[in-house]
Amino acid sequence: MSKIISVHSFRGGTGKSNTTANLAALLALQGNRVGVVDTDVQSPGIHVLFGLDESQMAHSLNDYLYGKCAITETAVDVTSNLKVPVKGKVFLIPSSIKAGEIARVLREGYDVGLLNDGFQDLLEGLKLDFLLIDTHPGLNEETLLSIAISDALVIIMRPDQQDYQGTGVTVEIARKLGVPAMLLVVNKVPQAFDPAEVKAKVERIYNCTVAAVLPHSDEMMALASAGIFSLQYPDHPVAAKYKQLAAQLMA
Amino acid sequence: MSVFDRLQKQLDIQKREHGISALELADLPPNLRKIMRLMLREVVLKYTDLCHAVEAMPAANRLSKPELDSALKTLVEQNWLLCTGEGEFLSYRVNLRRKAGSSLNKDIWASLDNRIAGSKSQEAPNQKINPGG
Repeated sequence: MSKIISVHSFRGGTGKSNTTANLAALLALQGNRVGVVDTDVQSPGIHVLFGLDESQMAHSLNDYLYGKCAITETAVDVTSNLKVPVKGKVFLIPSSIKAGEIARVLREGYDVGLLNDGFQDLLEGLKLDFLLIDTHPGLNEETLLSIAISDALVIIMRPDQQDYQGTGVTVEIARKLGVPAMLLVVNKVPQAFDPAEVKAKVERIYNCTVAAVLPHSDEMMALASAGIFSLQYPDHPVAAKYKQLAAQLMA
Repeated sequence: MSVFDRLQKQLDIQKREHGISALELADLPPNLRKIMRLMLREVVLKYTDLCHAVEAMPAANRLSKPELDSALKTLVEQNWLLCTGEGEFLSYRVNLRRKAGSSLNKDIWASLDNRIAGSKSQEAPNQKINPGG
């Protein structure tokens, strides 16, 4: 049975899109058909990690939400952009990066029911094993909807006081919504920190499994979203952590 | 589009205005929330399939038939579930409220539209907008 996985963080800049893209690639590497929806309609960005530019987006999620096309028509097969042999497939459903279309979403709102119908259509139409939803940081309509329909929620946080507080809000909401599985990922952890201590502290605070503690990586920063890190640096310790996380989601 | 089509569309829009927002889902009582979560994943379910899906839930989460019927009645009364058909064709679907647009003054949006249109017309034919600004 196909799984919906939401990747969320309460605050921006935690590495949410990077994590989503890496998980998608690693799941595809294992032979899975993976869909990635960029529901961050206000500040889309994950298309950059998949090397997709505006000219390659015949349609976007915005077009679907305003009735211009079916959601499956917005899906771009980005498997070849991964630049390594992959047994499965990765399809990206990008949000529009046109200023006027972003403004339209903010100005007019949209039919949230259509977004949910679209998720289900993607699972069926593209025969997906996994649908990953890259959300907007914080809590809003589309974020809560994606949490509510998820089989698993991956919450990304940094070891930062602001993140600690915000993550608490997300964990509480996810528990209320009865998400079957919730995995915390602590990202960008300074090298000076003991990962085991960080894991124990976060698990104690939220009473929730920490699936991975990812150290800060200069190589990741230097890559600057110009590709999928775990494919470009397959032997890097951060790539190993991503693989562990992907394995947990496949289990 | 016929008069009846237009009326039906108007009724659908009115129903959507009374639907449930994703924000409200978290505050529903547990039994109602379980049904709504199930329905969100299935989109449309016949009553008989809904009964089977509830029976397949883990024992701790399972609703009895009276509990299920009571939850469905409440959800339909609130317009959070839409009910169509009768008898063996009785089916349900979630009625999610439309995400509201901005309440900012329309002049602000008109001004933004003009600026976007202006910047487009100043671009060379093949030049792209840089969202990063």
